[in-house]
Amino acid sequence: MTSASAAAPLLALDRVSIRHDGATAPTPDGVTLDVHAGEVVLVLGPSGCGKSTLTLALDGLIPHAVPADLTGSIRVAGLDSAEHPVGVLSAHVAMVFQDPDAQVVTGTLLDEVAFGPENQLVPAAEVLERAERALKLVGLWERRRENPDRLSGGGRQRLAIACALAMASPVLVLDEPTANLDPAGIDEVYAVLRELASERDHAIVLVEHNLDAAVDVVDRVVVLDRAGRLVMDGPVREILRERADELLELGVWLPVSSLAAMRLADAGVVLDPLPLTPAELGAALDARPELPAPREAGAGRPPSPPHGASAGPAIRVTDLSVRRGGKRGPVVVHDVDLEVAAGDFLAIVGTNGAGKTSLLQAIAGVIPATAGAIDVLGLDPTRADARERSRRIGFVFQNPEHQFIASTVAEELEVGLRVQGVPEEDRAPIVERVLARFGLEHLRDQHPFLLSGGQKRRLSVGTALVAGAPVLALDEPTFGQDRERAAELLGMLRDLNDEGTTVLVVTHDLQLVADSATRTAVMADGRLLGVGPTAEVLAGPLIEQAGLRHPPLARATRGLANHPGWHGVTRMAQLPVAAGVGA
Amino acid sequence: MTAEAGAVTVRDASTDAPAAASPVVDPYAERAAPRGRFLYALNPLAKLAAPMPVMFALIFTRGVVIPTVLIVATMLLLFVGAKLGARTMVGLLVGTPLAVAVLGLSFGIWVDPARVDGSSAAASVVLLEIGDWRFTLAAYLVGLATALRIAALVLLSLLAGLTTGGPELVRAMVQNLRVPYRIGYTALAALRFVPRFGHELEVIRAAHRVRGTDHGRGPIAWLRRTVGLAIPLLASAIRHAERVALAMDARAFGAHRTRTERTVSRWRARDTVFVVAFWIAAGALYWWVLSAGVDGGFAV
Repeated sequence: MTSASAAAPLLALDRVSIRHDGATAPTPDGVTLDVHAGEVVLVLGPSGCGKSTLTLALDGLIPHAVPADLTGSIRVAGLDSAEHPVGVLSAHVAMVFQDPDAQVVTGTLLDEVAFGPENQLVPAAEVLERAERALKLVGLWERRRENPDRLSGGGRQRLAIACALAMASPVLVLDEPTANLDPAGIDEVYAVLRELASERDHAIVLVEHNLDAAVDVVDRVVVLDRAGRLVMDGPVREILRERADELLELGVWLPVSSLAAMRLADAGVVLDPLPLTPAELGAALDARPELPAPREAGAGRPPSPPHGASAGPAIRVTDLSVRRGGKRGPVVVHDVDLEVAAGDFLAIVGTNGAGKTSLLQAIAGVIPATAGAIDVLGLDPTRADARERSRRIGFVFQNPEHQFIASTVAEELEVGLRVQGVPEEDRAPIVERVLARFGLEHLRDQHPFLLSGGQKRRLSVGTALVAGAPVLALDEPTFGQDRERAAELLGMLRDLNDEGTTVLVVTHDLQLVADSATRTAVMADGRLLGVGPTAEVLAGPLIEQAGLRHPPLARATRGLANHPGWHGVTRMAQLPVAAGVGA
Repeated sequence: MTAEAGAVTVRDASTDAPAAASPVVDPYAERAAPRGRFLYALNPLAKLAAPMPVMFALIFTRGVVIPTVLIVATMLLLFVGAKLGARTMVGLLVGTPLAVAVLGLSFGIWVDPARVDGSSAAASVVLLEIGDWRFTLAAYLVGLATALRIAALVLLSLLAGLTTGGPELVRAMVQNLRVPYRIGYTALAALRFVPRFGHELEVIRAAHRVRGTDHGRGPIAWLRRTVGLAIPLLASAIRHAERVALAMDARAFGAHRTRTERTVSRWRARDTVFVVAFWIAAGALYWWVLSAGVDGGFAV
């Protein structure tokens, strides 16, 4: 490999700035970097720093297919990307994109993998050889005759990797390949990436915000700041360990284990070097003869309900069963009994197909219950009309755009009040209050579709609550978002919860669950395995029974041999704080 | 040469592949052609070219004999030449006469009485009389003929429709008809959008239902609702199409004037025989009906 590194770089970027049509400033801005054979490079940076834009330029999609201004130069295997079409560059750089659904072109896995080499006029015999090798590497060869639609998200993303491998390009570029996947899918994709990285046949450029998954696969990290300028470039361990504070300041998320260690350092427990993975954190903790006692499970979150009111449950679900797709459809929720107290923050977790979204939709009256009873603040959502329902429970869909119906932000909120029959003169003050509550005042006349991702999400929560619903239900609200946006959203939900709103959320991000939800319900195969205080659920056996993986912090603390008192530590808030026992 | 070898390898591999039980018809899946059913062995273009002139002639055909013979003959071809599921068979056998009966009656009622030949014997047979409106046998026959023609058109198009997969048709068009592959394969990729958008539309409907804005009657409320559904659907459709286009570009789609074809689509002697025999048989039918004056013949 040393001889390869000394050779000409596979990718050579020289002061690359890219400005999208309509944007005022370029992001990325003046990036210079080389990528050599066998390197695995992670590109980090806060939202909007131009990481994805940069990946599109690496195989010439910018400037050839996406309208944007590119200055500086990108040389791909010595070829100037501005002068060679994507078709030529694709022989040197293969791409994997974020959305697994938007990369499938043909009807079978085999045709899909063959598609790229066929376009490159590779002889048919070699196309098949390449397809076989690529499909075997990602573990999909046995399913080559199937329609890609039948694969899970993780399977389709592995297929996308196989398609990229079949291009036989020495560089592989992956743009947030796991952002749309559940934890099982993320593990599948990283198992493949780990193997590719260890073979050293490819240079890999990876954009990823989920550092917990990526950190032990990559060996070099490149960091862009908010303005898209390259600020750090070096070995991953060195940069994450030695410049962790700088990274946090930039708005880059660190692995949960590192964040936990930094929190511990504030409390006087300094772990050096900074652990990057749960295993490293666990080992570092175990190596210490003694640790301060962790804070109790409910630390950092108000006990539910916040005002000590025991007015009975806000939601009571009895023997609920739900079918999908009409009377003959499969039963996706079986005999669920669930009570949610007013003021709770309940997370419903489970693998894909566990029935968690169906349960939430039935509770919110989006789909009818097949059998059993649901009571939301004295109302049966299956029978009530939309007006009655939206006064009690607001539902937020995964994609906020789906719910928008008006042409301005203010109107979007007003519609909800009009449906309620609120007289016109009373609507304005309520709309103002909600706009202010969600930080959208300056956008009142904007079209909802033109908002940024975070603003759209805030507006969709606003529309769900404008009619005064004390219960808010959200379906996978962090899906496809980076850590920064996900944390922003969870912060907003915690605030709403502190103000008294009962929050129900379906998610597969267990660390976010751990840090936000007061209670957690675990589902598997349409049944409710159990429900309880989050810390207890995460420390208990239910997570594994449901086929889920413990969140990173729980993984680090569960195996501690010397500190049994720490086994129940699953959330950041349980770590000792500066003024506490550690001193 | 190499393309040939590749094609052979594919066939060999397909014989031992376990047939995936798919609950719905998959328009992309390459079905292994059932043995002994000749329609699958024909080039898709032959299955389109053979009925094409007949379908064109049908548009100008009067009377009930020609369409009826064509319906029966096409059904026979389908039953012998294709392997149909039980549901499709029942649909064809029961659905066709039923559809013809219903359509025939409604067309007969709608037909302009002034255009019905009043001098024929059938015009004096009144089937139903309400006030001074009469439904005559002649009017019913006109309606029936129209319904039969439509049924014959549909069945003729099923010859290719039921026995050809999307990729197979695109391959034949690209290789045998020299349609640019960029058009053919883009169309195939676009086919994938259809079920996706259907699903998406369902979600958007549910989302609007939750907001309580799916109420209101009358055409204006309907229009507003439809526009309300269309905007988010269009927004996501455009975004999706852009992403797919980028993914295709990144995989060298359109980089060269041709692309490797792993499976060769051939026009064989049997395709020519099928098309010519089909044309001769149809010509003979028309000649027999017209010269014997069995009924109607051509309308101008």
